[in-house]
Amino acid sequence: MIYTNVQGRTRHDRMGRINTIQAALMLGPAVLLLIICSIYPFFWMFRYILYDYNGFTAHFTGIQNIIRMIHDTSFLESIGHTFEYAAYKIMCIIPAALLIAVLLHSGIAGTSIFRLVYFLPTVISSSISGMIFSFIFATSNGILNGIISRQIPWLTSPDHVMMAVTVLAVWGGFGNYMLYFITGMNGISADVYEAAKIDGANTTQTFFRITLPMLSPVLKVVLMLAITSAFKDYEAIMVLSGGGPGNRSMVMFLYIYHLIFGSAYNVTQPQIGYGALLSCVSAIIVGCVTLLYLKISKKLDSVV
Amino acid sequence: MDKRHEVLSSMDKARQAAIIVLLSILAVLVIFPVVYITLGSFKSRTELLVGGAKILPSVFHFENYVNAWQQANFAVYTGNSVLIACGVMVLSLLFSTMAGYVFSRTNFVGKNLIYGTFIMFMFINVGSISIRPLFELATRTHMNKSLISVILFSAGMGQATYIFLARGYVNTVPKELDEAAKIDGCSFFGTFWRIIVPILQPLIATIALLSFRQGWNEYILPLVFTMTNDKMRPLTVGVNMLKNSGDGAASWEIMFAGATIAVIPMIIVYILFSKYFMNGSTAGAVKG
Repeated sequence: MIYTNVQGRTRHDRMGRINTIQAALMLGPAVLLLIICSIYPFFWMFRYILYDYNGFTAHFTGIQNIIRMIHDTSFLESIGHTFEYAAYKIMCIIPAALLIAVLLHSGIAGTSIFRLVYFLPTVISSSISGMIFSFIFATSNGILNGIISRQIPWLTSPDHVMMAVTVLAVWGGFGNYMLYFITGMNGISADVYEAAKIDGANTTQTFFRITLPMLSPVLKVVLMLAITSAFKDYEAIMVLSGGGPGNRSMVMFLYIYHLIFGSAYNVTQPQIGYGALLSCVSAIIVGCVTLLYLKISKKLDSVV
Repeated sequence: MDKRHEVLSSMDKARQAAIIVLLSILAVLVIFPVVYITLGSFKSRTELLVGGAKILPSVFHFENYVNAWQQANFAVYTGNSVLIACGVMVLSLLFSTMAGYVFSRTNFVGKNLIYGTFIMFMFINVGSISIRPLFELATRTHMNKSLISVILFSAGMGQATYIFLARGYVNTVPKELDEAAKIDGCSFFGTFWRIIVPILQPLIATIALLSFRQGWNEYILPLVFTMTNDKMRPLTVGVNMLKNSGDGAASWEIMFAGATIAVIPMIIVYILFSKYFMNGSTAGAVKG
């Protein structure tokens, strides 16, 4: 558009200004929500790290919170449980999702129906699925013990609770990872498989020599998503076992939730300042794990 | 799947059958919890408390639903769930498509910084502490008396993914369309509304469904905001409150019915529009 006269140019300028205002107004609501819901809470957290804050009054306590954290065995244990849970979940969910994706990708009948079923748990609220599994795992009248006709205390024995929690996590999440792998495999050219076939590769060889290496960029992203999401899970555990028995299935973010909002079982005052410190520490732990993973996966890259 | 590989489609029939059997067993296991809760919701209280291996109820007690709906307040919970889900959906659709369009089509100082901040906060996770300041903010502004606060904050916490999807999708729309609309006298917003929005239909469907699911399934946020107000609780919170309350052990049939009411509508929506759910879930992670 070329304006040759002065009138045209002012019209153009005015139009430009209106467009700028419109663009600002269109971006405005999202930015406002970003500020309120993400940026503000993030800095709010730092404000109370060194305070004793119960929701009404705040006292500066210096490094009291930090000293308390160092001696807080429940929190230290919950860090361990978080790592334990994340390890179980990732070790089960990634191989399972990959295997299922490979099977679904082999072109058998009914693929889309299987995919529909396997993805289904991911649309159910983790709070409701936690509740459903608490019925399934119930000791005296749960359906699982009914079927195997035993009385295994899945949710009330320290030896079994992690298994129950992991089963729920895998059930609720593997459909997502399966889908990532299928999408990744769709990106592998059929010619490569053709060539492998001509060279006489069998199914196992094809998987390890073709599918897996060609899928490695996707696998890397998926593993990172799996790690970050496993470390921040707590909703389902909160409903399924409440972190119990004892603190056996207490993960970091569930422990923190109880500090900040109080728990359903013991009505104590919220300890928000201490919770803020632990939130910060937990976020740093997750960040370090993610960075470590990125470093390792890069190292592996240069080796292969 | 249409892209069958030559190598694999020549698999012998026996092997194919074995895989199908394996996958079918797995499918039954995956769907079992849903079937169990649905059929269990028709059992009598005694039958549920006794337990056992039977999945089918001996007699179908449809009155469980009547009781849940009338006495246990599930009519209110369901209404709240619908309200939250629809509210989050509308806000997410409006805000994220507009923001995605601006990010894709304009250039201004600080654009990358703002976009980067959106993406950064997708990865920073400090857990439930971030709900506390929002709760106090809502209390101070008296927004905690209605579900508007829950809807706003839920939309705000989920929007980054949708903006990311929207920006990516608008990037694939040829810029020539914008130019043509501009020459025809459309303003920036006019171009978006008349030209881009109609093209974005698949994206709009994806964001609508993902955000509806997000709102419907929201738990911690409404749990905190409705701690003292039973009338505002959505299904996710209402059902779980029954479980935690003192007489929870006694009302298993109500909890089963409640969980079914919370799960089945979402499953129906999912089955009708599964394509969009799956596209939306992978688009962000793998293709990006």
